[in-house]
Amino acid sequence: MWRSLSALKKKGMADMKCNVAVASMHDYLDGDLPRETALSLREHLSACPECRTRFEQLERTEALLLAVPAAEAPAGLEDRILQSLPGKRRPAAWTGWVRRHPAASAAAFFLIVMLTSFVAMWNQDRQLSVAGPDLDDVVIEGHTVTVPAGKEVSGDLTVANGTAMVLGDVKGNLTVIDGQVTLASTAHIAGHVKTIDRAVDWVWYKVTSWFGTIAYGS
Amino acid sequence: MNPLDTRLAKLARKGDQRAFAEIVGLYKDKLYHLAYRMTGNRQEAEDVVQDTFLRVHKNLERYDENQKFSTWIYRIATNLCIDRLRKRRSTYSLDAESSGHEGLDGYSMLPSDDRTPESELLLSETQRLIREAMETLPVKYKSVMVLRYMKELSLQEISDVLDMPVTTVKTRVHRGREFLRKKLEHKL
Repeated sequence: MWRSLSALKKKGMADMKCNVAVASMHDYLDGDLPRETALSLREHLSACPECRTRFEQLERTEALLLAVPAAEAPAGLEDRILQSLPGKRRPAAWTGWVRRHPAASAAAFFLIVMLTSFVAMWNQDRQLSVAGPDLDDVVIEGHTVTVPAGKEVSGDLTVANGTAMVLGDVKGNLTVIDGQVTLASTAHIAGHVKTIDRAVDWVWYKVTSWFGTIAYGS
Repeated sequence: MNPLDTRLAKLARKGDQRAFAEIVGLYKDKLYHLAYRMTGNRQEAEDVVQDTFLRVHKNLERYDENQKFSTWIYRIATNLCIDRLRKRRSTYSLDAESSGHEGLDGYSMLPSDDRTPESELLLSETQRLIREAMETLPVKYKSVMVLRYMKELSLQEISDVLDMPVTTVKTRVHRGREFLRKKLEHKL
């Protein structure tokens, strides 16, 4: 009874095959052999002289490799290196940034192109224009359109790209496109005062038409 | 806070020459050791170190700060060594041992340099044997073994330097170790 038990136990000890044992030796030297496997490796080594020899050889090789002395760079190498460097480095910070952030760079580039074309086209129609039924009494000075006190405009007054200064009366609506309205206390406007910021609409129009070009290729 | 070498690299990128000189000071010996164990030749090791710093200087913009600076610089140096070893092999086969001369292969026929540093004047026989064994390692095992044992990098770090999976690094360490064990088996 006792005998068969110990025989069984012995068989269990030598359960690890030699090829598995060798792989475990390497894992052990790599520093990642699980504890359980380490125990069965130890059991295998105690039972297998060949593997024991191999393990000793591997350990010795490992120790020798780790003991190789560090080689030091010869004196003067540092100076030679520093002298061989090409002049002053250009601190090309932005090219480096561009290289590291390609998506952001593309977006920034797109924005710049859009903005410059927008500005260029916007400036083409920045001229003051005034529309109304009777403009004889209206005074225009530079970018300011003045309805003087005591005078009146009999219908709607529309001012584009300028300031409307109303001191007198406007019988209809006052519409200011891309400009400002200054109303004096003496002013009287029968209709509505409306200011339109065309830039917003204009951008919207430009963007949609641009995407239309991309989508339909025309 | 970034490690010193990463901070120096950032300064050098902005054109700070002194920061670059400090990088050279920090890494010259480390790179020289690496290159010398890879090439087995002093002159070539010097050339590799010099080339490495030139490349680092030129490509500082490409250094990604999220990566360890040592990984980046070791990668450049290791690749330069591998290139040299491959080129060397294609010109004349050094790995083939010449017949009849035990341990005498092409490497020992390279122009000898007699500038033996003092630290190696009293090189033990064992040291000489291990060095010779290292020199016969095939390139793909050699780079892994040098990084593992001479630079004492972890398997993960080696995988970062050589840009290959950890499992591959592991296999190569195992094979390299077996290769050296067999080489040294009867000599130790």
